[in-house]
Amino acid sequence: MIASAASLAADLRALLTASKVIDNPVELATYAYDASFFTQIHPHPPEVAVIAGSREDVSALARFAHARGIPVTPRGAASGQAAGSVAVQGGIVLSLHAMDRILEIDRANLQAIVEPGVVHARLNETLGRERLIFPPDLGSTRMATVGGMASTNAHGMRAVKYGPTGSWVLGLEVVLADGTVIETGSIGSRAKQSSSGLDLTKAFVGSEGTLGIFTRLRLKVMPLPPARALVLGLFDRLESAGESVQAVFAAGITPSAIEIVDQRCIQAINLYRPALRLPEAEALLLFEVDGAPAGARWEAEKIAETIRSRATRTEWSDEPGRMAALWEGRSVVGAAIGLLRPGANRAYCGEDICVPVARIPETLREIQRISAEFTIPIATYGHIGNGNLHPGHLIDARDPSEVARVQKVADAIHDLALRMGGTTTGEHGVGAVRRPFMEREHGAALGAMRAIKRALDPRGILNPGKIFADDPGDEQGDSWRQARGPG
Amino acid sequence: MPESAATPLSAEYLNMLGCVRCGQCLTACPTFVLTREEAEGPRGRIALARGLAEGTLTLSPDLARHEWTCLVCDACTAACPAGVQMDPLQVSLRATVAAPETLRARFYRWFGLRVILGAMWRLRIVVTLLWIARGLSVDTFARRSGLARLLGLERAMDLVPTSLSDDHLHADGTAHPPVPEVSAPTRVQFFAGCLMSTALAGIDRASIRVLQRAGCAVEVTRGQGCCGALHAHAGDLDAARARFKATIAAFAGSADFVVVNSPGCGAMLRDYAHHLAGDPDWAERARAFSARVVDFTQFMAPRHLRMTRRLDLTVTYQDACHLAHAQRITAEPRRLLRSIPGLALREMAESTLCCGSAGFYNLTHPETATALRERKLDRAASTNAEVIVTTNPGCLLHLQAGLTARGSTTRVRHIAEILDEATAP
Repeated sequence: MIASAASLAADLRALLTASKVIDNPVELATYAYDASFFTQIHPHPPEVAVIAGSREDVSALARFAHARGIPVTPRGAASGQAAGSVAVQGGIVLSLHAMDRILEIDRANLQAIVEPGVVHARLNETLGRERLIFPPDLGSTRMATVGGMASTNAHGMRAVKYGPTGSWVLGLEVVLADGTVIETGSIGSRAKQSSSGLDLTKAFVGSEGTLGIFTRLRLKVMPLPPARALVLGLFDRLESAGESVQAVFAAGITPSAIEIVDQRCIQAINLYRPALRLPEAEALLLFEVDGAPAGARWEAEKIAETIRSRATRTEWSDEPGRMAALWEGRSVVGAAIGLLRPGANRAYCGEDICVPVARIPETLREIQRISAEFTIPIATYGHIGNGNLHPGHLIDARDPSEVARVQKVADAIHDLALRMGGTTTGEHGVGAVRRPFMEREHGAALGAMRAIKRALDPRGILNPGKIFADDPGDEQGDSWRQARGPG
Repeated sequence: MPESAATPLSAEYLNMLGCVRCGQCLTACPTFVLTREEAEGPRGRIALARGLAEGTLTLSPDLARHEWTCLVCDACTAACPAGVQMDPLQVSLRATVAAPETLRARFYRWFGLRVILGAMWRLRIVVTLLWIARGLSVDTFARRSGLARLLGLERAMDLVPTSLSDDHLHADGTAHPPVPEVSAPTRVQFFAGCLMSTALAGIDRASIRVLQRAGCAVEVTRGQGCCGALHAHAGDLDAARARFKATIAAFAGSADFVVVNSPGCGAMLRDYAHHLAGDPDWAERARAFSARVVDFTQFMAPRHLRMTRRLDLTVTYQDACHLAHAQRITAEPRRLLRSIPGLALREMAESTLCCGSAGFYNLTHPETATALRERKLDRAASTNAEVIVTTNPGCLLHLQAGLTARGSTTRVRHIAEILDEATAP
C-alpha cells in the first residue's frame, strides 16, 4: 500500500525527531533544481523534502523508505551541475545541509571529523586558524558542502598536486539503503592508511548518493604550506600553452595548480576588469606553487624561465598583493563571461570534460568549432594540469532555438571528450544528465557498477535515475510513482 | 515568458534568468542560515518569482510568506557571481504579492508609510509627541498597564531611543559653511533622512560638523523628505515612486555630491536610476541624481580630517547591510575608525550578517529579527568592545534595544558621532 504525499509527510513527521519535513507545493518547487541547465528546463519537485537533523533520523528515514520502496535523493547545497541531487523520480529529497558540525580537529593525527553539511570554505577557515588545510580547493568553496564533494569526488584547482577529495577521505559513516549504519576505514580508526579489507571508502566516494548516505566524514588534513608563488603566462598559440605545461612537468616541477583561460575568457576578463588590460592572446596560464618560501620562489622562477620562450608575456610573484592581482583574471572569469553577450546567461551542460593533458590544445580548437557550428558562444577555462575543462555556453534562455541548440552542443562536447580519450565528467559527476554516455564510457565495467549498486540497494531507492544508465533496477522510482497515482 | 503574465515582475524577468542557481548566495543569506530551507534563501526566492512570472506558480499566501521573511539585506547580491540584482527584483515581487499580515499590521503599514512618512512635518509631530510622552512617563504607564501590548506597540516602543532628540533638523535650505574657512570648499547637499533628522537628529548634526571640518560647504536641501526605501520594500511601489520623484526634484541643485549618512536611504537613492529607467520623463534625471549620491563614510575616507582628541575606546564595527552589500563599502568605515588616535578596532565574526533590523522587519518578524540580533550581540560581546559602531539608524536602534534588554553597558553609536568627538575643537 503506497501512501499519498500528504500522508507520507505525516508519517515522516511522526517518525523523525530532529528533522524538518516539507510538503508544501510552493516550497517543494524550490527543491526541483540544482545548477544544471537540465533542471532549468525540466524541474523535478519531490513529493517531500526533509532537512535532516541527525544520523538517527537519516537511518530511520532510510529504513522507512526502504520498506515502502520510496526513492530518497540526498542533497548538500544542490550546487551541482548534473542534476545529481534532484529527485528525477520523485520521492523524498533529503537535505544534509543542516548537519554541519565540525566535530573534531585532531591536530596530532592531522585529521578532521565533520558532518556532511559543512561548507568547504568554513572548514578551511576553521582549519586555517590552526595552520592546517584540507587541500582540495574548489571554485565553489563558498557553497559546496564536504558531503557533496565526497559524493562527486570533486577535484578543484589543486588536484594536480594533491589529488581529488577522495584522496583526503579516510573514512565515512554511511547510512545504507535499509537504514543500517556502517563505518568504512574500520570502526573508530584514526589510522592514516589501511590495507584491511576492501576499500569501501573509495567505493562510496563518487557514488553520488546511489550507494549510501554520508552522515559523518573522517578527513585527512595537512599543515598549511608556509608560502605560495604564482606565475602568469600569456600565449598567442594554444599549442604553446599546452607545450609549456608539459615542459614544466619535464623540468621536475609539480605545481599546486595550473589553470587555463581561453581567448574568449580573456576578452571577457578585459570587459569585466578593464584595468587588467590583458593583451589579446589565445590562452592565459596560471601556475601556482607552494611549500617552503625559498622552494616556492625557486620553482616560480624556474617555471617562468621554462615557459618564457613560448609565451608572449611572463610574470611571477610571491608577494600576496601582486599574486592577488595576477589571480584576479582567473577568479572573475566565471562572472565575466556573461559580459561577452549582454542578455545571455551561462547554461551548465557539457561543462566538465576531462581529456589527456597533451590533447588540450586540440580539444579547445574543437570546442570552438562546435561553438561556430551551433552558433552558441563558448568561453572555456579549467584545470589544464589535469586536463579538466569547463566550457561555458552563453545562451538567451528566452529563445527556444538556442535552448535546443545548446543541448546539442553539450552532446557534441561529451562526444568530443570520449573521442579524445577522456571522460564526460572530470569532477562534477554523472548525475542524471551524463547517464546516456556511461555505457560507451565504461563498457562492461558499467555492469560491475550495477552489480555493486544492486548488492547495496536491492530496491533501488537511493538516488534512482542517476549514473547507472538504463538499469532495470532503476525503474523502481517510476513504479513507485505509478503505484501512488495522481496526488 | 507568457504575455498574459505581465506584472511589475516582467521588468525584472531578465534579472531573474541571470540566476544560474549556483548556490553561492546561500551561506550569505541570514534566513537560509537560520532555517536551511531552500525557499528561505535567495535562490529559492528567485525560483518562486520566476515561477510566478512564467505562470508555473500562482500567487498564494505561502509564496508571499517566503518573500516577506526576506530582510532585503542584499547580501545575496553582493555574493552573486552572475550579477543578479536582488533589491529591484524584490521591490517588484513585493509589489506583486499580497501583503500577508494581519489587518492590524496592514493598518500600521498604511498609517506609517502613507500618513506619517508622507510628510516630514507629520513625522516631526509624532517624534515630538513621543518626546513629551517619555517626559511624562506615559510609555512606562502604557507598558505597566498592558495598553502597549493591547495595541501591539510593545516592540515598537523598545526601539524608541533613550536619548530622543527634540531638536529636529529642518530641511530648510540652511547653509553650513566650512570650518575653518577655505577658499574653494567642496559643495555638498546633505540628505537628512527621516529618522536621522528627527529622533536621531544629533547624528545628523554630528555628520554636518564633521563635513564642515573636512572643508565642505553643506546645504541641508529644502523640500527633501523620506527616500521611499521603506515604501518600496513594503511593496507600495506607487508611493515609493512618488517619493523618488519628490527627492530628485528637491535635489535639483548643482553641488557635486549628495551626501547621505544612512546607508538604507543611500542604497535606495543610488537605485533610483534603476527604478525609474523605464520612465522617459524621469530616467535621465534619476540617473544624474543617483550618480551624485555618496555615502558619508565613502565621502569622508579620502578627505583630510584633523583628529584633535584621543579616544581611548575599544570598538567593534557592525557592517550595515545596505553599506556592505548594497554599496560594497566595507574598507572606508574601518579606515576612518583606525585613523582615530587611541581607538582600538576589534573585528567581530560575521560582521556582515544582517542584525535583523531591516526597516520594519523587526516589527513584522520579531522572532527572526531577535534571533539575528542575539547572534550579532553574541559576536560583538566576544570582542569585549565597549562600543558597537555602525552606520545605519535601523541597526543602531535595534541593537541598542537588544543591549538594553540584556542589561549590557555596551553602547551602539553611529560612526559620525565617533568622528565628531575625535575632531571636536
